[in-house]
Amino acid sequence: MSASNGVIVDAQHVSRVFSMPAGPVTAVRDVTLQIRNGDHIAVRGPSGCGKSTLLHMLGCVETQTSGTLLFDGKNVSQLSDARRSLLRLRQIGFVFQRFFLLPMLTARENVELPMSEAGVPKDTRQQRVQQLLEYVGLAARADHRPSQLSGGEMQRVAIARALANGPRLLLADEPTGELDEATGAQIAGLLDRVNQAGTALVIVTHDPTLADRAARVLTMRDGQIESERSR
Amino acid sequence: MKLATLIRLMAVAGWLWPSAAAAQETTPPVILVSRQLAESEGLEVGSVIRLATDASGTRAREFRIGGIYEPTPDPARLGQVPRSVRLHLPELLEMTRPVGVPPGAEYIASVNVALVDPNDAPQFAKDVNARLPGVLARPSGEAAGSAGPFRVLERFHLAIAVVTIVAATVFLLALTIMLVDERRETVGVLRLIGLPVRRILAQILLEGLMVAGAGAVFGLVLAVLSEQLINQFFQWRYDTALVFVRVTRDVALTCVSIAVPLGASATVVASWALLRRGGLRLARR
Amino acid sequence: MTALGFAWRSLVRQPARAALGILGVAAVGALLFDMLMLSRGLIVSMQDLLDRGGWDVRVSAGDLPASGLRVSNALQTADAIATLPSVQAALVIRGASAEIDRASGMPLKAAFQGVATRSTDPAGSRLRAPWTILRGRDADAPDEVVIDERIASESRIEPGNAITMRASCVADLEALPATRLMVVGVAEFPFQTTNESTVGGTLDALKAACGGNVGQEADLILVTSKGDADGTAAAIRAQHPEVRAATNSQVVGRLQQTGFTYFRQISSVLTTVTVSFAVLLITVLLTVSVNQRLGEIAALRALGFSRMRVVKDVLSESALIVGIGGLLSLPLGLLLASGLDRILKGMPGIPVALHFFVFETGALGVHVALLVATAIIAALYPMRIVSRLPIAATLRDEVIG
Repeated sequence: MSASNGVIVDAQHVSRVFSMPAGPVTAVRDVTLQIRNGDHIAVRGPSGCGKSTLLHMLGCVETQTSGTLLFDGKNVSQLSDARRSLLRLRQIGFVFQRFFLLPMLTARENVELPMSEAGVPKDTRQQRVQQLLEYVGLAARADHRPSQLSGGEMQRVAIARALANGPRLLLADEPTGELDEATGAQIAGLLDRVNQAGTALVIVTHDPTLADRAARVLTMRDGQIESERSR
Repeated sequence: MKLATLIRLMAVAGWLWPSAAAAQETTPPVILVSRQLAESEGLEVGSVIRLATDASGTRAREFRIGGIYEPTPDPARLGQVPRSVRLHLPELLEMTRPVGVPPGAEYIASVNVALVDPNDAPQFAKDVNARLPGVLARPSGEAAGSAGPFRVLERFHLAIAVVTIVAATVFLLALTIMLVDERRETVGVLRLIGLPVRRILAQILLEGLMVAGAGAVFGLVLAVLSEQLINQFFQWRYDTALVFVRVTRDVALTCVSIAVPLGASATVVASWALLRRGGLRLARR
Repeated sequence: MTALGFAWRSLVRQPARAALGILGVAAVGALLFDMLMLSRGLIVSMQDLLDRGGWDVRVSAGDLPASGLRVSNALQTADAIATLPSVQAALVIRGASAEIDRASGMPLKAAFQGVATRSTDPAGSRLRAPWTILRGRDADAPDEVVIDERIASESRIEPGNAITMRASCVADLEALPATRLMVVGVAEFPFQTTNESTVGGTLDALKAACGGNVGQEADLILVTSKGDADGTAAAIRAQHPEVRAATNSQVVGRLQQTGFTYFRQISSVLTTVTVSFAVLLITVLLTVSVNQRLGEIAALRALGFSRMRVVKDVLSESALIVGIGGLLSLPLGLLLASGLDRILKGMPGIPVALHFFVFETGALGVHVALLVATAIIAALYPMRIVSRLPIAATLRDEVIG
């Protein structure tokens, strides 16, 4: 399961160019990056600098136009869509700015969904759901629907869902973007705990306090990594 | 006149006279045949055929085809290929008169009368009925005995149309609810800004009317196109000139007068339930 | 969570919308079901009606349905037919118009059917007339008749009562003296039309009612074969080239090409229109529903849901809407069919026992198949949308939106 030297993602000179009616747009330009087990990386930069596109490529949601991207030693662009989906299901967790919880499911059911899709047996699923909800502090709200939860609570459920299948890598795109400062701090603390438990974490954020918690901070501009700071 | 010349003249006259009589006998009377009969039997104008009133061919007579006609389509005989001929009445009576019945004593099924003034039809029928017992005279428009089935079919089609409208209304409501729900946030923001419900409803109604109007026009165009297709298909299928579907002005007006208010009402009804909620609740994600 | 369970949760998320979609399918499905029943309903019903009495060959002077011509020398013809080896019995039927005197009011107009059985087979001789006795017994003697329920209820006549009748066998303008006849039974006449009243009896009773002025003709000769209806019809045609002999199936086949053809065509047209309508509307419903959830779907894809899985979710949603609506369409369709049947039976000359809409398992099978096809075709476009959904771009758009 582990890649050599604990490298989960190895991106070499990856670029992503979008074809637009007004002409091609290079969202990510010649980025080289490695993510190892337990890394805590924040990606900052102005709007439109390519942060989210880079995140999507790292999460195998988007394929690069050029360069190579290896996930766990496998060349992602050579995988079929089904294999990439399986990769995301088992190895990668996503947390979104807008939570994207399914409104017709309870918190418990939202967390259970990825495990159900991965074929985890029912007893195991139920046990794990309970553990995850306790982990994010929402065991008492397990049977509530998203409309009955606050923004922070919804994001915590989303984090629990992202951790459902025990991913090696958790990708968060502006996880505190829709939250107030206090709630954002709670989420930041939770993400820290996730990282300390061994899950590699890459966060795209505008929030400086969230970025400052990371061990590595990448600053992007015009599709390139302008600077990298390690703590 | 010398005797020899007279004999020659008589001989010549004797030769000519039987020929003249023979010529009269060998020219069969002229009839018309329906196009369908001509096509199925390979008949042409000028062909000589034999007609009889029974399958054994008793008392068959020869006729020459003077023309081929297109029968007036009869909806009551849909599906039946009109293999028919038209004869002059005396010839028909001659063929069909039972043995022993003197000419002039035959009966006929009906007489069609064309009046100088068609508006006189009811009075004319009344006069005939009074003067000729045993005869039934009716204005053509009232000869609805054979139109009875078509009145029933009209009711049948109306019932189908009602069911279709009900189904369409249900779907329309479902769609308008979904479409209105898509704009929930926009409506919520407008309410928060201060626009009254009445104003927003008026806008929705206007939009609904425009969409329903456009839909009705599109529906009419589709109906006219379908009319052509359906008529062409069935006319080919039954080899007839009958018109099966006709989108008249009245039909079009009825459809538009149902569709447009229905569409607009569905939008308003779907929106009303939404607008009853507060602006904050609507605008909240 | 299975795709079907997921689809169910998606549906109940918006109960009003789901209910309306299902009701719409139910209404359209009911119409579709009715059209399928109509496409063969008349044929099945007519075949059943013709077969009901046990008479499987019909002999007439012209092509059936009624051509207005009569079979000449009917009794002799029937006697000859009865001698054919494959024939069990032949029944001569002659009709007349009659007026039944009432205690008060205008005389009741009725049709009088006189019958006479011819058979060389003792079993055949016992075969009864083409009506079913409901009360009392069948008419045997020349002064006995059976009446239908309508006459019985309108005139309050029961077996044991006598009626006075004037019948006309040759032309409507005859004025004949009244004949007194004993009602011995109340019967059901299968080919009786809605507004008609019918009286039945022996041919001798008809002759008596018509003052003996009947002639040698008959409207129809019914024949029961000993098992080979086609062979019997062929033998009759060979024996009597001047008449038409057709088995019940052949009569139905002829009706299918003439009078019934309109209903087959209208049912085909309406079936096509209904299915197209349903496909279009369900496609729009599903497409709008999917378009409203693109962000959720993109998120699920990002979380690891495969393309196939999200496509199955959409298909399952279509299957649920059409499946539940389809189930509801069956009782609704049967109810609608009874109403439409009542409308169509108002046509003049339609026997009361004939139905336009007849339930057949074949029609049900076609209905189910069409609904399945509808669910699949309607889901094609929304399935395409979700299968080709650009995950990253959609997530981006959701944030911006």
